[in-house]
Amino acid sequence: MLAGGEVLATAKVLTTEDVSSGILGALEVVLAERPGLERQVQAVMLGTTQFTNAVAERRQLAEVAAVRAALPSGRSLPPKVDWPEDIAACLGANTYLVKGGTLYDGWPLADIEDREIDSVIADLKAAKVRAVAVSAAFSPMNPASEIAIGERIQAAIPEMRISLSHKIGRLGILERENAALLNASLLDFADSVVASFTDALQRRGLGCPFFISQNDGTLMEADFARRFPALTFASGPTNSLRGAARLAGVKDAIVVDIGGTTSDIGALRGGFPRESSTHTEVGGVRTNFRMPDLLTLALGGGSLVHEGGVQVGPHSLGHKLVRDGLAFGGEAMTATDILVAAGRMRIGDPALVRHIAPKTIAAATGEMRRMLLAGVERMQSGSAELPIVLVGGGVALAAEPLADAGEILIPKHSEVANAIGAAVAQIGAEAERLLAYDRIGRQQALEQVRAEAMRKAVQAGADPATVRVADVEETSISYMADNMTRLRIKAVGEIGRLKTQRPAKETA
Amino acid sequence: MQVNADALVDLSAGAVLLATGGGGDPYVAQLNALRAVREQGPVQLLPAADLEDDALVAAIGGSGAPVVELELLPSVENIQQALTAFEDHLGRQVDALVSFEVGGANSLIPIIAAAGRNLPVVDGDGMGRALPEAQMMTYALAGVSPTPAVACDYAGNLVTFATSDTATYERHVRALSTKMGGLITTVEHPMSGAQLKRCIVPDTLSFSIELGRVLRGPGDAQQKFAPLSALFRRSIYGSLRHIQTGKVVDRSSRTVGGFDVGTVLIEPFAADWGPVRIEVKNEYLVAWRGERLVACVPDLIMLVDFETAAPINAERLRYGQRVTMFGAGCPRHYRTPEALKVVGPRCFGFDFDHVPLADLTHLHQPLDG
Repeated sequence: MLAGGEVLATAKVLTTEDVSSGILGALEVVLAERPGLERQVQAVMLGTTQFTNAVAERRQLAEVAAVRAALPSGRSLPPKVDWPEDIAACLGANTYLVKGGTLYDGWPLADIEDREIDSVIADLKAAKVRAVAVSAAFSPMNPASEIAIGERIQAAIPEMRISLSHKIGRLGILERENAALLNASLLDFADSVVASFTDALQRRGLGCPFFISQNDGTLMEADFARRFPALTFASGPTNSLRGAARLAGVKDAIVVDIGGTTSDIGALRGGFPRESSTHTEVGGVRTNFRMPDLLTLALGGGSLVHEGGVQVGPHSLGHKLVRDGLAFGGEAMTATDILVAAGRMRIGDPALVRHIAPKTIAAATGEMRRMLLAGVERMQSGSAELPIVLVGGGVALAAEPLADAGEILIPKHSEVANAIGAAVAQIGAEAERLLAYDRIGRQQALEQVRAEAMRKAVQAGADPATVRVADVEETSISYMADNMTRLRIKAVGEIGRLKTQRPAKETA
Repeated sequence: MQVNADALVDLSAGAVLLATGGGGDPYVAQLNALRAVREQGPVQLLPAADLEDDALVAAIGGSGAPVVELELLPSVENIQQALTAFEDHLGRQVDALVSFEVGGANSLIPIIAAAGRNLPVVDGDGMGRALPEAQMMTYALAGVSPTPAVACDYAGNLVTFATSDTATYERHVRALSTKMGGLITTVEHPMSGAQLKRCIVPDTLSFSIELGRVLRGPGDAQQKFAPLSALFRRSIYGSLRHIQTGKVVDRSSRTVGGFDVGTVLIEPFAADWGPVRIEVKNEYLVAWRGERLVACVPDLIMLVDFETAAPINAERLRYGQRVTMFGAGCPRHYRTPEALKVVGPRCFGFDFDHVPLADLTHLHQPLDG
């Protein structure tokens, strides 16, 4: 629970089978800590990995038909071409290639043929498929084909659930189409997840709007999330990084999250995670959602110490640390035991680690220092040294070794950094175009795409007065005339509707 | 040697390294090639020496902007159709196919075309790397005419060429591709086995497969340096140089000789070496340490991800990325004064002559320092 930037109450509970009771449990703890404040809650933000997990575990996935408007191109690379067999089977075999889409310069790739669409519709009816993903060549630049086909299908089969690829992904038809297919496949599940969240909040008397966090660290309204569950796929690490920075009160920082088995090091620029440039696979399916650029070190509190301390990790006891670690009466020497023996951490029984040789302690702490310093040094960008924010259970492991690497910040409440990241998020949107700078000029191109991104952000619920550009990405296109550039701009703003407070609904 | 599905994936990984930043992401071409060899059978890789002198060979590949492929997906049928159209135009069937350039997707297009017809692909290419223009191919440098040639677009629309020289041909192909969706398949440079043997950069496809096998294996760039070096040492490129390991701290662009050239600044992890600046126009062309040249085109400047050693093309390079920079000498075909007039730094707008990589080794950061 936050008021402005101030953390009022926190709770951390284990995920439950039915999800909503776990959330309700956490809510209870938080509300009980601050009695009387529940009517003042203006919004609830949820970060969830429900949909990522469903794809990874191949559950809750509905059958989906794929309709791609790009013929005559791509005949040999139909939808789901590079998918693992098990998940492809979950979505069924209904794929259709039809004419449509455009070229990079807007020229029609082929006109949509009514006869083709009629035959797709007849087939969808016969197959009794309940969801469909529609993609078209260059749809992020011109979505007309997707919209037209979507409308035709909706008119013919009113109960059909439809995902249009341009609403979900970026340039890259295979990856965008994959995301649209996964999205369509999760729509039923999204309904039930959002309904159970809504229910949990209502039952607790919280009738305020609620939001779900997206991949890029911004929020979407719950109703929007019912239609776009795929936009939550990468939100987990994003929320942790943003939460850590917010708790520490910085916008540009290196964040080190030390867990039991690994340490994840990420970088924040302007309050948002620096993104990885590689493709993101979700359950083995290639998408073009961007994940935060994370460097993962095999070093955590449970990491095993070998060879007199010369080697730490990569194997770890993980959650078995509290059973098998020396300080807990076990047999295995871990990073935690070294810290306890060195007097830098108070956990378990110090008497049980007293026998560790000073030479081993020195060697192991030296090795941990080397690993952490090298990792942080690699993530530091440019010549200006960024402050280092430490979060996670193993903060004690990193604080001393990193003292020389920069300003160290260890914020309070770091165990709930993920939830804080979700709670402080803004509303965002992005726009992307391929533009010839030599023809329209860079300034005008930037202006055009910026205006589109800001308009989309306001449509998504951002307060127009606070909308600003959060990120500009310009990629010059190789081997193309006129200085052709791929321009992507992200705009963010504060949640618009919160300015006027809504009364909380009474509990039924 | 037979190119099957496994070899294709290795080939395409190695081809990104040899593309020196250009050539595009071969993912889509790789999917098509996998489909072609799975459905139509593996393709024979023929050493150039085994080619009959009177055999008819044609070069086939994509021309235009690889990024277009992200949306305008090429198809196996379309690539095979281009070959058929070329043979119809010539009035004769070809005996083997050869690649324009080993760098990027163009290493795979001949394999896709050959699979449908059970034709061999000659082991080698016309660049030994990636370069932007047709006249830079060793076939053109050896005086082979690019035409008769055929271009085929996504819809099977065909254009035939009969041009006086390669520079004109290049100009026409470039103009055409912008109006044909941005990317076309061309079949060109018909030549005899004897002609090809004189100008091909030999064994680059099999070399790329070997590189890919190492690059796709476990280990970071530092760990893979030794096995990669061993492969380079016995190849036409000679020894592999480690130039810098560090992170990308700046990306910007400036104008060089009328071209818009991007600049990438790589700051080393090791503090006692200064940053390296790479100038990029499609490919990584020239690299400097301060005011001093450390490598230049046509020698190969290659960037890989430090953690995985996955090669990085210029469009994927981002601020903050941790990279290792390698260099290798160009094939001997490009070391003559005549060739350097076509592929040397001056051809890309730079105001200096080529300096061989082997003369610049004192400016390359040793691997562990």
